[in-house]
This record gives sequence, structure tokens and C-alpha cells, in this order.
Amino acid sequence: MQRRKFLQACIASGAFSVLPPRLRAATSVPTLRFLRPPGAVSEEQFVERCIRCGKCGEACPNRCIEFFGFENGLNSRDTPYIIPREQACILCMKCGEACPSGAIQPVPREAEAIMQRVKMGHARVDEQLCLSFQGKTCGVCYRACPLQDVAIVVGRLEQPHVLGPCVGCGLCERSCIQIPQAIRVFPSQTRPA
Amino acid sequence: MIVASVIQHHLNKLRWLVLSGVFALLVLLPFLYLYQTYEAAHAYDLLPPTEKAISDSMEWLTKPFTRDPENDLNSFKGTTWSGTLYGLKLSDPLAVIGQVAATLSVYWPFALTALIPVLLTLLLGRFYCGWICPATLLYELNDNLGTWLRKAGLPVSQRRLNRRLKYLVLVVGVLLSAITGSVVFASIYPPALVGREIYYAIAVSGFGAGAVFFILTLLFDLMVARRGFCRYVCPGGALYSLLGRFRLVRIQRKVETCNDCAKCNVVCQFDLDPLHDDFGQECNNCTACIAVCPTDALSFKLTIKDQTFQGPGHLGHLYRKQQGAS
Repeated sequence: MQRRKFLQACIASGAFSVLPPRLRAATSVPTLRFLRPPGAVSEEQFVERCIRCGKCGEACPNRCIEFFGFENGLNSRDTPYIIPREQACILCMKCGEACPSGAIQPVPREAEAIMQRVKMGHARVDEQLCLSFQGKTCGVCYRACPLQDVAIVVGRLEQPHVLGPCVGCGLCERSCIQIPQAIRVFPSQTRPA
Repeated sequence: MIVASVIQHHLNKLRWLVLSGVFALLVLLPFLYLYQTYEAAHAYDLLPPTEKAISDSMEWLTKPFTRDPENDLNSFKGTTWSGTLYGLKLSDPLAVIGQVAATLSVYWPFALTALIPVLLTLLLGRFYCGWICPATLLYELNDNLGTWLRKAGLPVSQRRLNRRLKYLVLVVGVLLSAITGSVVFASIYPPALVGREIYYAIAVSGFGAGAVFFILTLLFDLMVARRGFCRYVCPGGALYSLLGRFRLVRIQRKVETCNDCAKCNVVCQFDLDPLHDDFGQECNNCTACIAVCPTDALSFKLTIKDQTFQGPGHLGHLYRKQQGAS
């Protein structure tokens, strides 16, 4: 009985990994919250194009790019990701230049180009946690943002409001002094298009 | 002519030098990367002692060549799977094949980075396997270890499998890439693994699962078949063999000076048959046979085809017997 169950699990997992992409996307539930490097193409295309050479990580001066083992499924093995709370992207755009495979597109390091072509995710403020919304003036996230006053503005008591142009670099989440963080980046690949 | 033969006799040593150099570069590049990050952070005083040592040694290494290491060192990145050398992007043709299979389309900026390796392979055959591949260095050392183990009396199997198995691996890999939509070669191709795992170990968070797979291939070579992975499994080897089938530069035997000693056959780790003029598309130009030949009968020639068997060497006793009989 034990063995049969084991075999069934093997076959099921085997069948799962060879399902066509569409079916796979429908059956897999994204549980990890990670960002792809800036300039990355859509998630499905990214996994197809990436050749796992690791050059994006080797180009990152901020050491924010890390690589998946098995935790995000077989297909994501050795692909790059960023956990903004650990180390956020500084939008230096060197990974796109280094990437040979086209999985990360090169984007010039200019505000206009970055706002147009980089979409790692979108930051969202949890007003229950945010100190400024609790009457304690903070504003750290606003000051950490590389696109100040464009992607994020502050109102009364430095209460932050994230706007449309936010590219999701995660510097706000990295800098948030509240534990757990009151501002989080929600990755593009897990947001419905 | 004598000079040429002397050079060819020492090519194997040169090859070891090149292999070690490539491997050393793969170890050096992650350290250079770490140095770049220290430079970018402008925080030398805050580094712990080990990182200070890395920073100091890399600074000493790069100082004669660059004043702006943070940016200039970007022209040396990556591994043999895909890398930047002097600012020139080069990729393994297998990576391009894998990506084309996974995306079912050609991304030209990437495909063109494999152009130079493909052209060189068309000219020289499987030279990558013998002269550059960082895994080859480890496999050859592993093979030497196997020889010592055999001498020590340990039962080391030397099974022969079908050479064409690796072409099957290549085809299955392409199909799997297309079905799963990801480059599966990246997870099983030894040079890609070696380069990546060295980088992971030095600059990221330690060895990954690829290192385990690589150790398994070493054991496969040791326990099952001599140089078995390269000869029977490696999809890259299969691709290069196919590309190099009509290569222009190949080793040939000069029957007049051959004495049938068969040292070439013994020394060939790919189990080819130089003694009977059978090199085929598998030869990786390692030149071990040239180096070991006592009578200079083997040398590189510019030709598109192997010779058909020319009969026993004229300095051997078999030939003399034939001559006496006729």
C-alpha cells in the first residue's frame, strides 16, 4: 500500500512536470513572493528564455540577485530572483546589460526609460501597520524611493501614497522601519494582468 | 617540419595549461565580482577581515590593468556556458539550441553570440571538449585517479556503451526543453554546472544541487565507463561531434613511420582507434596520441576526411612479415 502510494506520487509529479505550460500555469499556485530583475520579460517568457548562466547576479553591484534551487518548482531552477526585504534592487540596470539571453532586457539608466519599461511589481502600503497612519510621523519609505514624488508621495503626517509609475524596486520595503514591514512590493508575475 | 612536429608533441601540455587557465579564470571571476561589489559599496573599512583580504588581493591583481575596477571589470563576466570576454559576448551553442527549443523561436541577439564557437567547431571539431570545457579538466583528473585505483587493485569497471546514446540525450533534451518550456540542458550539462556551482560557492550561498549531479557523473566515469559522461551522455559533446563531422583540421597517421606500438590507442581517453586510422567525429583534438607517439607518426593535417585504414605501420613487425611473404 505504501509503495503504491509512493509510485502514484512519483507518476503524478512526473506527469505534472511535462504538462503543457498553460495547464501547468493553471495547476501551480504561486506561493513565493519574489521579484524578477528589472527589465525582465513576462514570467512565462522569462523562464523559457533564461539559460541560467548567472551573469545577472554577477553583474549586480548590490548583491540583491539570488538564484532559485527547487523551491519555486523545477522550471525555475537557477533563475534569478530578488527578495526586496533582504536586499532591494537599486535600479542600476547592469543585469539587463549583462543578460545574453534576452530574458532581462537592457534598459538605459534613465528615469523615463525605467518607468516605461521596468515593471517588477507595485508597492502597497498596509495602513494598519504604517507608523505614519498611526499618528507617528515616519516617511522613511518616501525618502528611500528612487522615484520620489513620481512613484510615491506623502501627505499629512508623512503618510505615503504609492502612485502608478512605481516600478517595484523594493527599496521602500527594504527601508521600512516597522516589523513586519508596512509597505510591500507585489510582484508583477503574481498580479493578474 | 621538425619544428612543427616538436610543437605538436607539446600541444598536450599546452592543452593542460589552457584547461587549467580556463578553470582558474572561472574561480577568479567570482572573486573579482565580489571585489566589484566592495568597490561599489565604498565601505572598505566596514568589511570583515576575510572580505578585506579578498578586496586587497583582487585590487593587487587588477591595479596594473584598470583604474576603475567597478565598471571596467564588467567586460569579464560569466562562465563558458555564456560569458563576456574582453566585452565580447560568447555563448555555448547548446545554450542557443536549448533556448530555441524552449521558446520555439529564435532570439537573434543571443543566437549570434554562439556564432564564433560554431564556426570554430566547424573548423576544428570537438576542440571545446578537449581544450576549454572546465568539466574536462576535472574528468581527466578523475580518469587519472581511476588509473591509480586500478593499479592499486580496485575493481574499476570499464564498460563500453553505445556512443550514439549521447545523440539520444541531445534529442530528448531538446524535446523536454520544448515541452517544459525551460532550458533543461542548463541543469545537466557539466561545463554549465561547473561554472555556475563555482560561482554559487564563492559569491552566492554555497553549492547547489548541480554540484551533487556533477559528483554523480564523476562516479559514473569512475565506476561504469572511462570518461563515460563525455563519450556517452554529454549533449554538448553530441552537438559538437555533429558540427565537427566535416572539420577541416584532424589528426592523421603516417603509415610509413608507424610501428604499431598501439600507445595511441591506450592513451586515448575517448577510446578511439588511431592505430587503425579511425578517429571519426568524436575526436576532441586532445593530442594525447600525438604526444605519446614514439615515432612521430601522428600529426594534424588539413583535410576534410579521415583516411581509410592504411594497413599496419611500416616499422612494425606485422608489415615486415607481410613484405616477406609477398
